[in-house]
Amino acid sequence: MRYYSDSPKVDFDSMPEMAPYLEQPEAMYVGCPGKHGYLNLGFELNSEGKSILRELDRRAPLIVQQELYFDEELPGLPCVYILSSGGPNVDGDRYVQNFLVKKDAMAFVSTGAATKIAEMKRNYSGMLQTITLEENAYFEYLPEPIIPCKHSRYISDTKIVADATATLVYSEIYMGGRKYYKDGELFQYDILSVCTHAERPDGEQLFREKFIIDPRDNDLRLIGQMHDFDVFANVVVLAPKGKAEEVYAQTEPFYDKENRLAAGITHLPNQSGLLFKVLGMEPGPVKKTVREFASRVRMAVKGKPIPAEFPWR
Amino acid sequence: MIMHLLQFTDSAFPVGTFSFSNGLETAAHIGIVHDADTLEQYTRSVALQGALSDGVAALLAYRAAKAKDYDTILQVDQEIMLFKMNDEARLMLQRMGKKLAELGVKLFKADDDLFHRWIADINSGKTPGSYPVAQGIAFAQAGLSEEELFASHQYGVINMVLSAALRCVRVSHYDTQSILYRLSADVPKLYERARAMTFRDMNSFVPEMDIFASMHEKGQMRMFMN
Repeated sequence: MRYYSDSPKVDFDSMPEMAPYLEQPEAMYVGCPGKHGYLNLGFELNSEGKSILRELDRRAPLIVQQELYFDEELPGLPCVYILSSGGPNVDGDRYVQNFLVKKDAMAFVSTGAATKIAEMKRNYSGMLQTITLEENAYFEYLPEPIIPCKHSRYISDTKIVADATATLVYSEIYMGGRKYYKDGELFQYDILSVCTHAERPDGEQLFREKFIIDPRDNDLRLIGQMHDFDVFANVVVLAPKGKAEEVYAQTEPFYDKENRLAAGITHLPNQSGLLFKVLGMEPGPVKKTVREFASRVRMAVKGKPIPAEFPWR
Repeated sequence: MIMHLLQFTDSAFPVGTFSFSNGLETAAHIGIVHDADTLEQYTRSVALQGALSDGVAALLAYRAAKAKDYDTILQVDQEIMLFKMNDEARLMLQRMGKKLAELGVKLFKADDDLFHRWIADINSGKTPGSYPVAQGIAFAQAGLSEEELFASHQYGVINMVLSAALRCVRVSHYDTQSILYRLSADVPKLYERARAMTFRDMNSFVPEMDIFASMHEKGQMRMFMN
């Protein structure tokens, strides 16, 4: 059997935090056509040693066209944007995303625009994601932020299977909500549950990070949590040990009260890599901080920086 | 029984809680935690995080110890370490866990070999030896209840921050005792949540605290360990 099998059922109904949100939507039912996005991307080297997008299998509303080679620092890097024809994630949406980067290949994936999680009355939106990296594979996943609107419910599970020689930069940026909509809509969503876990190909577990944000049950404005920040970024880096140490040594944590931006870096368990967290007020400075950090990883592993972001992004 | 509970919860119980500040030293140094109100907020975040991660691990280890299910004890030990995202937290859990295990070997000599077996596995590197697991085993062996374990766990977490605060924040004993008294009222509600949770439900969201911990780890401040 190939790595890509039929899409697994995306079912988070048994998770306790989703228990209040299991009602069927009044419009289209859970996971019906158009609400069950499915994406398989497989990158590998072709016979000339160039990284290409060999496997592309998608189901609406997720759209991926062909890979582009627009990275000026790494002209051989296939770059892919994930788009959604459905606009925001709505109640009852289910998504599957699988990324595979084969031996010695590299890839860059992002999204075309922020992922909006729309206001919901019933049910939730869920995503199951797998990232598989073979020996010496190199994968940058730097999507645009996720914006959870009022009363939205979102849950995701990301499983990473990475060889010890592979490199991953996996970033997630969460806005507090539609900050400038009406009088401001910050932390008015119902629930955000995000789990990211990693293992080696032999099954050795590396780490498991899970956060559940339930703003109605817990005051996120407390010191230690979001405090007075509105945007939060989490960046997982898996890299060969020496490379990770290089990046760790070059990355200084900071808390800039004047510009209201802060970042910290730690080692993931089992010496598997690094975890970089950023807090800020607006997505721009947070994205910039994440990109600079990702650039240090690329420099350590590929000897090249990440070019400046396009001015329209 | 209540004597055992007091003994295991007392800050004089020699597991080294006094050495750690949970990032508070940095939060105080940069002026984010500077008085009783800001300290209470910070402590509340620490207590919530402790309840839904280490607190859950302690309860799961307790139940495994009660059932003499050693494999599950090892599993809880692995899972809680997989969940700890910074060196300071892992170091703290392992130092305190090993100290309590060494003490447990002496306290429960006559009972059975759970602590003996566990510390042998810690020393041989087979299991990390985390503090919540040690607490779970100790409470099970002393015949204390799950509720008592959870209360003791939360008391330890809250008190660790408040004791550190007396040394690095401008607060008085009156302030810290008032905070402890207020936060204690939340413990039953947290227990109701934690008791229903398994490994997959453990969760933590304290990004600002994580950043403080990171600054502490890479910084020059050394009143507390990292």
